[in-house]
Amino acid sequence: MNIRKLGTIVAAVALSVGAVACNNDKITDLNVDPNNPTTAPAAPVFTYGVRVATARWLGSGYDKRGTEWVAQHLAEWQYPQEDQYARLQGVDTQGSFDGPYTAELENLGKVAESGLESGQVGIYAPALVMQTWAYDYLTDTFGDVPYSAALKGDSGVAGALSPAYDAQKDIYTGFFATLDKVRTDLANDTSSQDLGSADPIYGGDKAKWAMFANSLLARLAMRIVNVDPATAGAELTKAFSDPAGTIATVADEPTLNWPGDGVYDNGWADDFKTRDDHRMSQTFMKILIDRADPRMPIFAQPTQANPAVYAGMPNGLDNATAGNYGQTASKLGLIFYDVTRPSVLMTAAEMNFIKAEAAERSLGGLTPAQAKGFYNAGIEASMAQWGVGAGAAVAYENSPLVAYAGGVAGEKQIAIQKYIALYGDGGQAWFEWRRTCQPNTLVAGPAAIVDFVPRRYEYSTNEFSRNGASVNAAIAAMGGDTFDTRMYWDKNPTAAPTYVDANSCEGVRP
Amino acid sequence: MRGHLRTILAAVCAVSLLPAVAAAQGAATISGRVLNEAGNPLPNASVFIPGGMGSLTKDDGRYSFTVPASRINGETVTITARLIGYKASVQNITLHAGEISQDFVLASNPVVLQGVVVTALGQEKEKSQLGTAQQQLSSAELNSTHDTNLINQLEGKVSGVTITSSGTQGGSTSFVIRGQNSIAGTNQPLFIVDGTAISSNDRGSTAGGGWDFGSVVSDLDPNNIATLTVLKGPNAAALYGARAANGVVVITTKKGANTDGKIQTRLTTSYTWDNMQNLPEYQNLYGQGSHGQFSYVDGDGGGVQDFNDQSYGPRFDGQPRPQFTGPDMPWVAHPDNVSSFFSTGHTLDVNLAASGGTENAGARLAVGVGNQNGVVPNNFFQKFTSALNGQLKLGNKFSANGSLQYIRNNALNRAGVGYNAGIMEQFIWFGRQVDMNALRANYDKMNQFGAHYNWNTSYHSNPFWLQYDNPERDTRDRLIGSVALDYKLTDWLTADVHAGQDYYSYNQEQDVAAQNVSWAGAGLGDLAYNGAFSIFNSHNTERNVGALVTANKQATSKLLLNANVGVNKRDAIYASNSQSTDGILVPGIYNVSNAAITPTLNQYNERRQINSAYGSASFTWDGWWTVEGTARNDWSSTLPKGANSYFYPSVNTSIVLTDAIPSLKSNFLSYAKVRGSIARVGADAGPYQLQSTYNGLANKFGSLPQYAISTSIANANLLPEITKSGEVGLELGFFGDRASLDASYYEKATSNQILSVTVSPASGFNALNANAGKISNKGFEAMLNVTPIRTASGFEWNTTFSYAHNKSDVISLAPGLTTIHLDGVGAGPGWGATVEARVGEPYGAIFGYTLRRDSATGLPLLSDGFPQKGPLAVLGSIQPDWTGGLSNEFKYRNLSLSFLVDFHEGGSILSISNMFGAYTGVFANTIRGREVDWNNPGIVAKGIDQATGQPNTTNVTTEDYNQSFFEIHEPWVYDDSWIKLREVRLGLDLPKSLLGGLHAQSASLSIYGRNLWLHTKVPNIDPEFQYTTSNYQGVEFAAIPNARTIGFNLQVTP
Repeated sequence: MNIRKLGTIVAAVALSVGAVACNNDKITDLNVDPNNPTTAPAAPVFTYGVRVATARWLGSGYDKRGTEWVAQHLAEWQYPQEDQYARLQGVDTQGSFDGPYTAELENLGKVAESGLESGQVGIYAPALVMQTWAYDYLTDTFGDVPYSAALKGDSGVAGALSPAYDAQKDIYTGFFATLDKVRTDLANDTSSQDLGSADPIYGGDKAKWAMFANSLLARLAMRIVNVDPATAGAELTKAFSDPAGTIATVADEPTLNWPGDGVYDNGWADDFKTRDDHRMSQTFMKILIDRADPRMPIFAQPTQANPAVYAGMPNGLDNATAGNYGQTASKLGLIFYDVTRPSVLMTAAEMNFIKAEAAERSLGGLTPAQAKGFYNAGIEASMAQWGVGAGAAVAYENSPLVAYAGGVAGEKQIAIQKYIALYGDGGQAWFEWRRTCQPNTLVAGPAAIVDFVPRRYEYSTNEFSRNGASVNAAIAAMGGDTFDTRMYWDKNPTAAPTYVDANSCEGVRP
Repeated sequence: MRGHLRTILAAVCAVSLLPAVAAAQGAATISGRVLNEAGNPLPNASVFIPGGMGSLTKDDGRYSFTVPASRINGETVTITARLIGYKASVQNITLHAGEISQDFVLASNPVVLQGVVVTALGQEKEKSQLGTAQQQLSSAELNSTHDTNLINQLEGKVSGVTITSSGTQGGSTSFVIRGQNSIAGTNQPLFIVDGTAISSNDRGSTAGGGWDFGSVVSDLDPNNIATLTVLKGPNAAALYGARAANGVVVITTKKGANTDGKIQTRLTTSYTWDNMQNLPEYQNLYGQGSHGQFSYVDGDGGGVQDFNDQSYGPRFDGQPRPQFTGPDMPWVAHPDNVSSFFSTGHTLDVNLAASGGTENAGARLAVGVGNQNGVVPNNFFQKFTSALNGQLKLGNKFSANGSLQYIRNNALNRAGVGYNAGIMEQFIWFGRQVDMNALRANYDKMNQFGAHYNWNTSYHSNPFWLQYDNPERDTRDRLIGSVALDYKLTDWLTADVHAGQDYYSYNQEQDVAAQNVSWAGAGLGDLAYNGAFSIFNSHNTERNVGALVTANKQATSKLLLNANVGVNKRDAIYASNSQSTDGILVPGIYNVSNAAITPTLNQYNERRQINSAYGSASFTWDGWWTVEGTARNDWSSTLPKGANSYFYPSVNTSIVLTDAIPSLKSNFLSYAKVRGSIARVGADAGPYQLQSTYNGLANKFGSLPQYAISTSIANANLLPEITKSGEVGLELGFFGDRASLDASYYEKATSNQILSVTVSPASGFNALNANAGKISNKGFEAMLNVTPIRTASGFEWNTTFSYAHNKSDVISLAPGLTTIHLDGVGAGPGWGATVEARVGEPYGAIFGYTLRRDSATGLPLLSDGFPQKGPLAVLGSIQPDWTGGLSNEFKYRNLSLSFLVDFHEGGSILSISNMFGAYTGVFANTIRGREVDWNNPGIVAKGIDQATGQPNTTNVTTEDYNQSFFEIHEPWVYDDSWIKLREVRLGLDLPKSLLGGLHAQSASLSIYGRNLWLHTKVPNIDPEFQYTTSNYQGVEFAAIPNARTIGFNLQVTP
């Protein structure tokens, strides 16, 4: 081979290598995801955040899998692990801890961020209210959780990937600050954008969001009343004096209507399509039966064994015993099988009971004389919500166990009525039981894995491997990671001795 | 048929028939025969003299080629004959005008130390000149028995690889060479067929269960493979670039030889019977129910415990009792109710090949059909393969070759594994009284409550109804093609352009009939819908175009130069879409137009490209010392702009000591070679990891669109992954190569791993794309080959033992991170236990709940007689201590008998089947404590009572005791040691006297069995199990044991 030929070959090789090398940088243009955008408008992100938050805390993942059994609205007759509190252990609480942060809290946070950046209170206020509403379930389920350092994973800030836990007291302080800002900004707002039809709760009605913000503020303030009555009172005053008012009637309620299209169905009804493990709890049914509650035929069906009988079953039985209650305990009312049944994020009934309690305790500018009025308004709102006529409601208000007694007895009645009205919102019912000790008939079932009613979920086991230092610091601060580790606000209520019965307040199995 | 083949081949030949170079005046014609030691002709051997002149032998072993007069000057040159699988033979001839005759006898090469092998880039090289470890299997070794999955045929035959099959027929098989390198990426090797990279995507089930759709590499028909070479790790594979870290499997397919234009055909037929074995050991004292109670009304809680799918019911007493089969049926066990669900599978596989050629052209066409009726009812696989190979010489300079394979796979009703889709799940949550024949006979009937006829209607559908009326179907159409054009620039320099593409489309459908109880969307109490379905389609393309210049020159009489430089462009394109609905309107019409519930639609597209330039140079001195260097640079589309280039070099050397120092050779030591190598390879990221995105949801909320931010944090500064690897090896031959040892020690470490690092979800995200983490693997592998007996009468005994030990170590992860869940799979499939890469542990630590123990005695700490959940801890590792294979072959003239034993020693497996089998009381080991009656004598567990600190005296029932272990993982983690008799084969080459009657030139018959015997310490399951070839290994649930296969194989060459 001659030199010229070799030269040609070398040149050819050099050219092809060069041809490859030339466009080497340009090929990175291929790496733009054709499937997903890098930014999205706030509206569809808000829709997602609201939908997923509601589905979680009022649906089958959390409520129907954990708290409805703990609050003893429902009991379980097939494979009663849930009812024995097995699902409250760290190995099973991942869904209630991981899910909220990465789904609703992060996305609602992004909506709030974009609203704050553009100065649109109509965007950020609903997002912050929804975020706070969801955060409450999270902290009151676990105790200390990441809050101030949370949701910053994409900020590049040091430590953002393993956020520190905040003391629950500080989280509540944060809740109050957030809701006060929302309240104030909405009051001063004249012309901001709203979310319009992308807001599935209020259709972009900013005044309604201000009302929800005030009501949520009242819910959270009352939660800490036993440990910090001063702060509670101050926040209640703000909530009650805000011109936007609080939720007063069913029409004011923040409500998510489920399309019921087989894709997005009410979480309970969706669960009941394939599961039949639930029956009414004896604890709850006794309260309804004792008071001849007109909501009972709506909440429950007669037993399959006897169409004239409504009955509950005991909670926390062993598998074999529980398995015998299928025919003799009531199923839930037919309305709960409706895939379009709306989820109510906070009821007018609850708001009225908060006011009744505040009045009885002379908080938030209210006086004991006003308590009965709010108490009866709460009962009427609940009756209206479930479709019971006004006449039956009034008769009920005047029946022996229900007629408002005032004083300590009245406060117990308020708590019982709240417990009834919170049917379908097991989280809030459970939180309030811990705060009020009412109903005082909750005790752990015979086969429950602990002999008391749990006061919290254990931290998700995954968090120990991914954020070990932070979660261990939180456990040290809280004094444990067990079912009986108490919330900041769940200390013995020296500020409200009225709630302490002769019975223990721990739901201990007799 | 034969006539058609002739036509096709003739057409291929016709375009190529160019006049052979006429013998010029004064030219030399060199001719002769190449035979094996037994005196049989060897076709396809290559015979050549320096300068690239030579030819291939024909079927009669004859070769002939002409040397032009201009090249003849009376000098003495070497003439070499070589053939893969044989030791090359080199002779000296003196070139002169006229006829020169030279015959060869090639020694077969069972000891695999010397001979010609296929190596990186498909080059054929002398094994003695290789500085890296590789192992080659011949067509015979791949086809001695039959398995539908090619990779299963490698089990026990290649040292240093860990092969795990899923157990399900048609399922995937994991193939890991020298331990896992990558935490998040694949650890499966790259597959190259005739120079073209093909997809080895896994279509296994998801971790945790579902259907295992198999590995796509199983599309290749072993009958069409000439050689399969495993390049063990980055050192041998560095030239392949980004995907070489896990090693490369280089496959060459069979080609048409020079047969003087005659067509040669070969028919291979195999038929096998498959049987289920190694099923759990069941108890037959107690039937369905709980606490000794059971009475059937509707199977859904209407009776006593009839919703209950456990076997803690009444003791079998033969008395009448309401059951699903009738109101007064005798209460007796059906001991065979699980095994009788399965049937004998049948597999028929036929491959017909025709090949032939002339000096200038050759072609081979093969068509294969496989039909398999699985061991699960109504389960069927069909595979059609076809391969066309052709090569063509265009004058003296040009030659072209091409290959095309079309493959079609159909499957119906694969057997599912795991918790919800698993067939075995229903036999773990089960009643021991269930009459399987009644279920089979009545599967299409309804009971009086409008539910399907079944033993339980709360949690289970009739297993036969699931198989017959809820069909799963999948189809894969695949086309693999490559073309190459070589131009011989000079006698030592060749340029080549080549292009190849692997394309497949894949379709999977699942129909769910109304009232399927595991139907998540609708079902009980929701009869408005009449079923559901899902359809998934994908298209996968891998395309490579490249050019390569190869130099091969005997520079001096001592120095051989071998160099190449090449470029390549690789495109990978993937697209998928799916449609599903949770409810249809008209029963039986599984079409999106029949959706009663808004269908869920998904679409995904992905594209990536890598440009590469690479080269290598090797110098061999005097045949005994070789030094080789390789280099490659890749530019990837998936890395950041301006930082998407990465370079990897490697260098290796080998010295044949017995040639360098001939005095080393003795009667004892016949051959000695040392080799060493260091290499570095890089790998790019997956596409679209640099920028955060919002993901649109497939469904609108009512009419409202929804978007959510991706739960992964993007990283705009990703770097390529780097694997550094070093190895040394020793190859020894003893007693005239009657015994040989090929051993390697290696160390490798992969750092800068591109990981989806799991972060605390409180950050708002689940994961961060990051370069983090380092995994090291150190190991030793050896292959010992001995021929203890070889007699003049033709009796020979060959034994081979392969051994591999690998120590894996997770050295570091991202700062502050101590563990990563492999594949990001959380607690789900392990019921609270996870498989993790934990710093300081081997890759694949099984992490779960321990039993709480008394610190003083170490005994379980009991509460009211029950075990307690202790802290989370590492309970084991998926890494075996060692793996190995022992094969023996006895040959006598036409007869051969061989067997292969496969060893897997150590490592751990978490068996969720055993956890639930105890929970439900179906396994035989749950009799303890209820030998007399359901609560008698009960169990007084050995342990310390936590209340008293004294030995436990509380008596509890077996049911409560066994159920208290739920989600306590420690007792269910087993030593994953097993020994399998993988293959036994009796082969017969039919004697010539019989062949005449068959009109055949040769024929061979073999009878064989696979997976014949298992010894394991793991109760109730076959521990060889995986959900998928992904990195989530070591957790089992509802495994389908590997079937036992017995069959025969007949090869006829007419």
